Amino acid sequence: MQTITYLILVPMVYLAYLIFVLGIISRMVKIWRAPVQPTTLQIFPEKKPKWLWALHDSFLLPTVRKHNPVLWFFLMIFHIALLLLIIGHLELFKGFTFFQFWEHEIFLGKGFVGLTMIIALLYLLFRRFASPTRQISIPEDYYLLILIFLTVLFGSQMDWARRWYGYAELSPSDYQTYLTSLLFFRPELPSAVYQTGHSFMLVLHVFFANLFIMFFPFSKIMHSFFSIPMNRLRRG
Amino acid sequence: MDTQTREDLLKLFQSKLNQAMRLYLETCSRCGTCTEACHVYASTGQVKHIAAYRHEIVRRIYKKYFKGQGKLASALGEPKELTELALEELYEAAYSCTGCRRCMVYCPHGIDTQMLMSIAKLLLVGANEEPEILSMLADSSIEKGKSLDLFKEGFLTAIKNLESQVVEKWQVEAGQNPIPMDQEGADLLYVALAGAHSIIPAAAIFNAAGENWTLSFFEAVNFGAFVGDPSRTKLILDRIINEAVRLKVKEVCICECGTAFRVMKQLSGKQPFKVSSITEVHARYLREGRIRLDKEKFKDPVTYHDPCQIARNAGVIDEPRYILQNLTHDFREMTDDVRYNWCCGGGGGLVALGEDTLDFRMKSAKVKVDQVQKTGAKILATACENCHTQLSNLNDHYQMGMNVQFLSSMIAEALVQ
Ligand code: HEM
Ligand code: SF4
Ligand code: SF4
Repeated sequence: MQTITYLILVPMVYLAYLIFVLGIISRMVKIWRAPVQPTTLQIFPEKKPKWLWALHDSFLLPTVRKHNPVLWFFLMIFHIALLLLIIGHLELFKGFTFFQFWEHEIFLGKGFVGLTMIIALLYLLFRRFASPTRQISIPEDYYLLILIFLTVLFGSQMDWARRWYGYAELSPSDYQTYLTSLLFFRPELPSAVYQTGHSFMLVLHVFFANLFIMFFPFSKIMHSFFSIPMNRLRRG
Repeated sequence: MDTQTREDLLKLFQSKLNQAMRLYLETCSRCGTCTEACHVYASTGQVKHIAAYRHEIVRRIYKKYFKGQGKLASALGEPKELTELALEELYEAAYSCTGCRRCMVYCPHGIDTQMLMSIAKLLLVGANEEPEILSMLADSSIEKGKSLDLFKEGFLTAIKNLESQVVEKWQVEAGQNPIPMDQEGADLLYVALAGAHSIIPAAAIFNAAGENWTLSFFEAVNFGAFVGDPSRTKLILDRIINEAVRLKVKEVCICECGTAFRVMKQLSGKQPFKVSSITEVHARYLREGRIRLDKEKFKDPVTYHDPCQIARNAGVIDEPRYILQNLTHDFREMTDDVRYNWCCGGGGGLVALGEDTLDFRMKSAKVKVDQVQKTGAKILATACENCHTQLSNLNDHYQMGMNVQFLSSMIAEALVQ
C-alpha cells in the first residue's frame, strides 16, 4: 500500500506535469506552424478596440449569457471557483505569498469554493444527459467532467474536514512541506501526509488530479488557451 | 472506398488545415450554445442540424487521421473512418448548411461552421460527389473566362437590346452610351449577374449619378465558392480581377449577390482597386446628393432582409438603412441586432440547386417567415439574388402576400429626374 501511495504522490506527479507541459507545447507548436488564415473571418458590426472586445468575449461569455443564462451562471461560477482553487494550490508552495497582500487563510472561501464547484460540475454533467446536448456530446465530455468532479470532491473533503469538522491532523503546513519538496526535486513525505486517517483522501485527490493534468493537453480544455485567439479572429 | 482514394481525399483535407481551421477543429467544447442558432434546427428541431453536430462529423474524421487521439485513445472522441457512408453524412451536413455563420455569433469561442463545412465540401469535390449542377455551373463560368472572344459578340448584342429599357428609367444625354462596356479608364467596373434585372436598374442609377462606369463581361456569382472548391473559386474570381486590372478601373462594384461580394471583398486578399457592394455605392450617391429619390413612391411599409454574406459577414449594414430612410416613411427592422437576423435559408448553393432543394428550403426557413411576418410590412426588400429567389419562393409557399423587391430596383423606380 505504501508503495502505491508513494508512486501516486511522487513519480506520478512528475510524470503528469511532464506530459502536461510537453503536451501543451506540442499542441501549440502544431497549430502555430500551420499556415496563417490569409483572409478575415470577422463578424460585423465591429466594435473597437477589437482586442478588448475579444477578451470580453473570452472571459465574460456574453453570448452564452444571452442564449443560455442558466448555463452561463454555472459556467461562470465554475471558472471563478477554478481560479480561486488554482490560487489556493499555488499558496501550498512555501514562499508563494503574492496573494497574501490580502491576508487570508490558505484556500479562500472557507470551503465553499469547492462546494460551489461541485454543484456547478453536477449541473454541467447532468445537463449533458438531456437532449439535445446529449446528442452532440462525446465520451470525452463526460470523462472530463467526472474526472474533475472526483478531483474536486476529494480535494474538498480535506478542506471540509479541516474547516467544518475540526479535523486537525492534516494541515496546510504538511501539504506545504510535501509540495515544496517536490518543487525542489527533493521529495519528502511527512508522515501526516500518508499515515493519518485522511491520507487516502489526499492520495485519491492527487491521483485524479494527475489523470486530469495528463489528459488536459489532449482534451477540449485546451480552450483555455485557444479561446482568446479564436475570439480575436471573430472580432477581426 | 479504396486506399488510394482515401489518401487523395486526406490530402485535400490536409490542404485545408491552416491555423484558424485547426483551432476550430480542436476547440469546440460541445457546450450546445449554438443549438438554437441554426435556422434549420430552429425550424425543424432535428438534432443533426445543430451546428456543433454538423462539424463534429468533420472533427471525427480529423481525429482519426490527424490526431494521436484517433490511434491511441479512440474511446474518447469516437473518431470516424472516411468511408462512402461518411461522405454521405458529410454531404447531408454541408448541403443543409447555408454558411450563414449565425451560429458563429452564438459560439463562446467563435467557431466558424461555414469554414468547417468547406472541408466537407472539398472532400465531396475530391470524391466527385458534389452536386453536379454546381460543378457544371462553376466549370462553365471558368470556360467563359478562357474564351471571352467566342461569346463577346453575342453578349454585346444582348446588352444592346437592354439599352432602351435603361433609357426608359433614366434619360441619358444624346451620344452617351446607356450601358458602356469595355471602357478603359472608367472609374467603376460593375459586375452584374446574367439577367436583365441585375443590369437595367443598376445602369439607370449609374447614369443618374453621372458615374463614369463600365459593365463587366462576366457575371459576379461564384459557383466555385458554393461547391467549396478553392481553385475554381479563384479561377472564377480572377476573370473579374484581370478585367478590372486591364481596364485600369479604380473601383469594382459587385451587384446584389452576397457570395460574389464576400468572396471579392473578404476572401481574395488585397486588390489594386476598391471593392464595393452596389448597396454601398448607392448609399454614397445619395449622401453626395448625386441621386434623389421620391419618398412617396412606395406607400406600403417596407422591411429589409440583410443577406448574411453582405451584412453579418461583410459589414454592409448602415448603408441599406440609410437608403431606406430616403425611400420610405415606414421602414421596419426585423431584428434589433443585425447579427441575429435569420438566414433566408437559400445560401451555400441551395438556391442554385433549384427544385432539388425546394422542399428542404421551405421547411428549414419557417423561422424566417415568422420573422418577416412579425414586422407587418408589405414590401420585403433585399440586396442579394439568392435571398431574393428564396424569399420569393417562401412568399409563394407560405402565401405571405408580400411584394419581394431588390433594393436596387426600388431605387431605380424612385429616381427623381
Ligand atoms: C481563458 C480561460 C478560459 C476560457 C475563456 C474558458 C471558456 C470556457 C467556455 C466558453 C466554456 C463553455 C463551453 C462548455 O460548456 O464546454 C467552458 C467550459 C469549461 N471549461 Fe473553460 N475556459 C477557460 C479556462 C478553463 C480552464 C483553465 C479549465 C481547466 C480545468 C477549464 C475547464 C472547463 C470545463 C471543465 C468546462 C465545462 C465543460 C462542459 O460543460 O462539459 N476552463 N470554458
Ligand atoms: S457554441 Fe461553439 S463550442 Fe459550443 S457546441 Fe457550438 S460550436 Fe461548439
Ligand atoms: S452557418 Fe448557418 S446554416 Fe450553417 S450551421 Fe451555422 S447557422 Fe446553421
